[in-house]
Amino acid sequence: MRAGGDSVLIRYLARRALHAVLLLFGVSALSFALVDLAPGDYFTDARLNPRISSETVAGLRGEYGLDRPLPVRYLRWLRSAMAGDLGVSLAYNLPASALLAPRAGNTLLLASSALALAWLAGVPLGWWAATRKWPGRILSFAASAALTIPELLMAVMASIVAVRTGWFPAGGHLALPALVLAAGSMPVVIRHTRAAVLEVVDSPFLVAARAHGISEGRLVFRYVLPAAANPLISLAGLSLGTLLSASLLVEVILGWPGLGPLLLEAVYARDVPVIVGSIVISAVFLMLGSLVADVALYACDPRIRVEA
Amino acid sequence: MRVKSGVLCALSGALFVALCPGEELLVSHSAKGRRDGRLTVALRAEPKTLNPLIAMDLPSRDVIGRMHADLISIHRQTQLTQPALAKSWTVSPDGRRYTLHLRRGLRFSDGHAFDADDVVFTLEAFLDEKTHSPQRDLLIVDGHPLTARKLDAYTVLIELPAPYAAAERIFDGLPMLPRHILEKPFREGKLAEVWRLNTPADGIAGLGPFRLKQYQPGERLVLERNPYYWQEDGSRQRLPYFDELTFLFVGSEDAQVTRFAAGETDILNRVSPRMFPQLAAGQASRGDIVSDAGPSLEYNFLVFNLSPAVKPTWFQQTAFRKAVSMAVDRDSIVRLVYGGRGAPMWGNVSAGNRQWSNSNIPIPVRSLSQARDLLASAGFTWDSGKTLRDRTGKPVEFSIIVASSNTERVQMATIVQYDLKQLGMKVQVASLEFRSLVDRVLNTRQFDAAIMGLGGGDADPNSEMNVWLSSGGMHVWNPGQKQPSTPWEGEIDRLMRAQMSAIRIKERKQQWDRVQQLIAENVPMVFLASPHVVVAARKWVGGFAPAAMADYTLWNVEELFHRDN
Amino acid sequence: MTRLWLVALTLAAIHLAVALAGFISPYDPAEQHRDYPFEPPMAVHFFDSGGNFHLRPFVFSAGRMYPLQVLVNGKLFQVEEPGHVFLLGTDAFGRDQFSRILHGGRVSLGAGLLATLLTLLAGLILGSVAGFYGGWRDTVLMRLAEVFLALPWLYLLLGVRAFLPLSLDPVRTFLLTIAVIGVVGWARPARLFRGIVLSAKEREYVYAARGFGASSLHIFSWHILPDLRSAALTQATLLIPQYILAEVTLSFLGLGVGEPAPSWGGMLAPLREAGMLTSHWWLAMPAFALLPVVMCYYAAISTSPSDR
Repeated sequence: MRAGGDSVLIRYLARRALHAVLLLFGVSALSFALVDLAPGDYFTDARLNPRISSETVAGLRGEYGLDRPLPVRYLRWLRSAMAGDLGVSLAYNLPASALLAPRAGNTLLLASSALALAWLAGVPLGWWAATRKWPGRILSFAASAALTIPELLMAVMASIVAVRTGWFPAGGHLALPALVLAAGSMPVVIRHTRAAVLEVVDSPFLVAARAHGISEGRLVFRYVLPAAANPLISLAGLSLGTLLSASLLVEVILGWPGLGPLLLEAVYARDVPVIVGSIVISAVFLMLGSLVADVALYACDPRIRVEA
Repeated sequence: MRVKSGVLCALSGALFVALCPGEELLVSHSAKGRRDGRLTVALRAEPKTLNPLIAMDLPSRDVIGRMHADLISIHRQTQLTQPALAKSWTVSPDGRRYTLHLRRGLRFSDGHAFDADDVVFTLEAFLDEKTHSPQRDLLIVDGHPLTARKLDAYTVLIELPAPYAAAERIFDGLPMLPRHILEKPFREGKLAEVWRLNTPADGIAGLGPFRLKQYQPGERLVLERNPYYWQEDGSRQRLPYFDELTFLFVGSEDAQVTRFAAGETDILNRVSPRMFPQLAAGQASRGDIVSDAGPSLEYNFLVFNLSPAVKPTWFQQTAFRKAVSMAVDRDSIVRLVYGGRGAPMWGNVSAGNRQWSNSNIPIPVRSLSQARDLLASAGFTWDSGKTLRDRTGKPVEFSIIVASSNTERVQMATIVQYDLKQLGMKVQVASLEFRSLVDRVLNTRQFDAAIMGLGGGDADPNSEMNVWLSSGGMHVWNPGQKQPSTPWEGEIDRLMRAQMSAIRIKERKQQWDRVQQLIAENVPMVFLASPHVVVAARKWVGGFAPAAMADYTLWNVEELFHRDN
Repeated sequence: MTRLWLVALTLAAIHLAVALAGFISPYDPAEQHRDYPFEPPMAVHFFDSGGNFHLRPFVFSAGRMYPLQVLVNGKLFQVEEPGHVFLLGTDAFGRDQFSRILHGGRVSLGAGLLATLLTLLAGLILGSVAGFYGGWRDTVLMRLAEVFLALPWLYLLLGVRAFLPLSLDPVRTFLLTIAVIGVVGWARPARLFRGIVLSAKEREYVYAARGFGASSLHIFSWHILPDLRSAALTQATLLIPQYILAEVTLSFLGLGVGEPAPSWGGMLAPLREAGMLTSHWWLAMPAFALLPVVMCYYAAISTSPSDR
């Protein structure tokens, strides 16, 4: 029985890996094409310097192979990417992977801190909101109000608070962006926890358990949370994705050295290897997020195993 | 301001051997400070490279400028040339041969000696075709490169292929490179690959006040004092004063201001004049030094596409362009866009350019009725809905493109759009990402009109040949013409070429004045305004001397010091 | 049920106000009062400085009293020249914020509605094709959906927007923005609809209908489409607020409708500037217009019978 379960899991993971490769292929091709749609390239900027002649610019363009047609450039990139080389950044003249690695680490650190913060605060708050009538309503109202504020605006407000109060460094520090991102995703956590708990609290088995005089704390950890866990786990996987995409812009405004500022600048500069590299890396993060959630679900809920 | 110490050293050489061990240092006569502390500055973006040969972006140049030095430099406040690594120079009567005398006994930041071989090597490196240095074109006059020859260890002869006015100015910002480090990559044709951000600190050497200490990707770059720097103050103290200079990468102008307000950086190296009220608040509460260094060299303008293929042909009519210029409310631009800290412009040279601005360019009063008269005289009419129509009855509608990243120019476009609406013109503003804008204006020519800005570089007219020559690639209204398409463009071509080889400054000034007049009369571009240079520093920053030219506050970084330490 | 009514009523009132913007707002949204940049909001008074009550409310403009004139010149209210009435203050060009918020609502709310329609239509068609026909169509569409979900769109849009035609008039930029938001979001609803079609297809009566020789079109429109309807409705209430916020974010980044046409995001954009929010707080007014709209939609979701 045990061995059979493992082989199902392995088959499942193998299929996921295959999908992942196909997905990365599609993502890189699409982003390559989209970046190419925009007029101009990295060296267009040099045209606006009166001291640089257009011949020099043309020379530079040829040097980096930007005069080749799109399919040729993509295939060339793909071939080296398969060997683990994401190309050389036009702006930095450095391997894109050397630029991306430290920043991807920072983005992941930020997203996971924000995720942890949102869940550590959101689940108890959601629980609390579910068990108290009026505070619960007020809290869920506040949560939906918070959802209406775009993260960008929240980041702007946070930096003002930081400058005014001096409680946090205004930039370059983990605390502020992590708080902003956590505040942005916490309302969803609160709402879902509250809904899940409300559903379980009224269920017959819990009423029966309570009637048997099982203590409230034991009730929560033994019965309520496991029963409410399922939707929450899949939400966690999803919210990692939303967090990552939100974090890019928050990083830019609050000066966190993650992928966001690098990618934004690369988009403006048409630094194709960096753009495609960042997009591929965030796609990998997204897939890992949903994979972790799926595996956790698989571990928790036997019904999934049958489907897999 | 600065005195050539060479003479002094040579005269008193016998007496002061111990103090002046063969090193001809330059004595700076700015305020005297103490050697201590560190200075933190925020860069808008991360520098891309530490290689002076290929650096194109501003942040890289900001950092590289502190790590290297040039032979002759332009004093940022007087805008005149002054000796640097070359203690003096002579020019032959025909203006083609420059003999440069180098300071003796100087050392690179790694302790290696600097001499004429390094100068010859540096010019060779910048001229190397495989490196594609953006500064290469600067060293090419009339299609031929200039040549450098070593006369002795401390004398270099530079020969120009043709007479070139103010040739000594091209040495400003041309960093002298260490031959002992770069010769090998040069021979291997790999100069473009050296000195990247991840190059270890001991692999880079320069003659600037600071040298590389540490680089933290995405975050900061730390420079430390170059112990061999070639300047000292009046009390024999070697510059720079600060132990360390840190550059933070913050991502935007707003972040620069926020980080300064939060006390995380010490100097704001030029921000938009719009920020002035906010900085003034810091001045009142914390005693920050906030300074308005006057109009910059930057000029913002509305340019029409005058390519012959463009239809309809309104833009080709001088009266139409004049009417537009007449209707634009420049005072409102200065007031609303720059918060009053800007200068309205009617000619192509900003008032910030002390030496070269033509003060006789007429300043017409804004008048919508005169603009309407001009249009009426050119055959335009208005229908009952007040829409302007041309001779054929076609309504006047066009678009202005503008770079979305530049808030100020987008605001100017909004003001111009509203002004032209008063004339019955229907104008659309399309804000585009910067590179797309440049591509449309300079390559594909798919645009009607654009709001742009130029003039970040040198004050000398020679730096803008490419803009004003009708054959120039940056002749924005109609670039790359085989023959000048109008008589006045032909005259500008002739005058620009003449001033380039004229040696006497008075003659050049007259020719450049005439060019400015021709441009103002024919309005290929409607000049709008020039922003003031607004900078700030903590109250303890001593030796602070902001200038209207780039690098604004950092040009004398070696003379800055911590006042109350 | 009363709550749903309240929500519907609020939404209707806001949409009506926005639809009647031309009548309610005292000024043309593009009109620049260049002598009054960044004018703070004006209070409407009933009592003058002497404490005397006036039946007709008035404002102070440049130190003078101007009574509000109601229903003149086809406007709800205005004041006599040379006075001005700026209920919510003015922006950098002296444009009336109140008028701009009302007119901007057309863009922001309209974009949310139309983009949702577009997404649902695309999701419905693609999801149904994938679910109904299965096979290679299903595989291709679902893999494509994964690619779309994995791309950080905001960043690509920054680059792609530049490629799009110079979209001259505000109407076309508006439609373009809608198309961009709407098309990008098709993947999630498509996956949902595919799942519904899949399960509907397997039902006995569908097999029966097929057995009787009913055409695909007949089966789809009679037996499957009804299942999709309620899911589409729920999706709509979920997507509309999301898309309103998406338009705000795009305009906030300067990718929305061009000047001088107002939109809520575009009006909020100046707040990115350092110190703007503290010195000119009234520029944040559009956020307060956003709040009730988005909250009403969220409230509608949690009230509607099929939650999530």
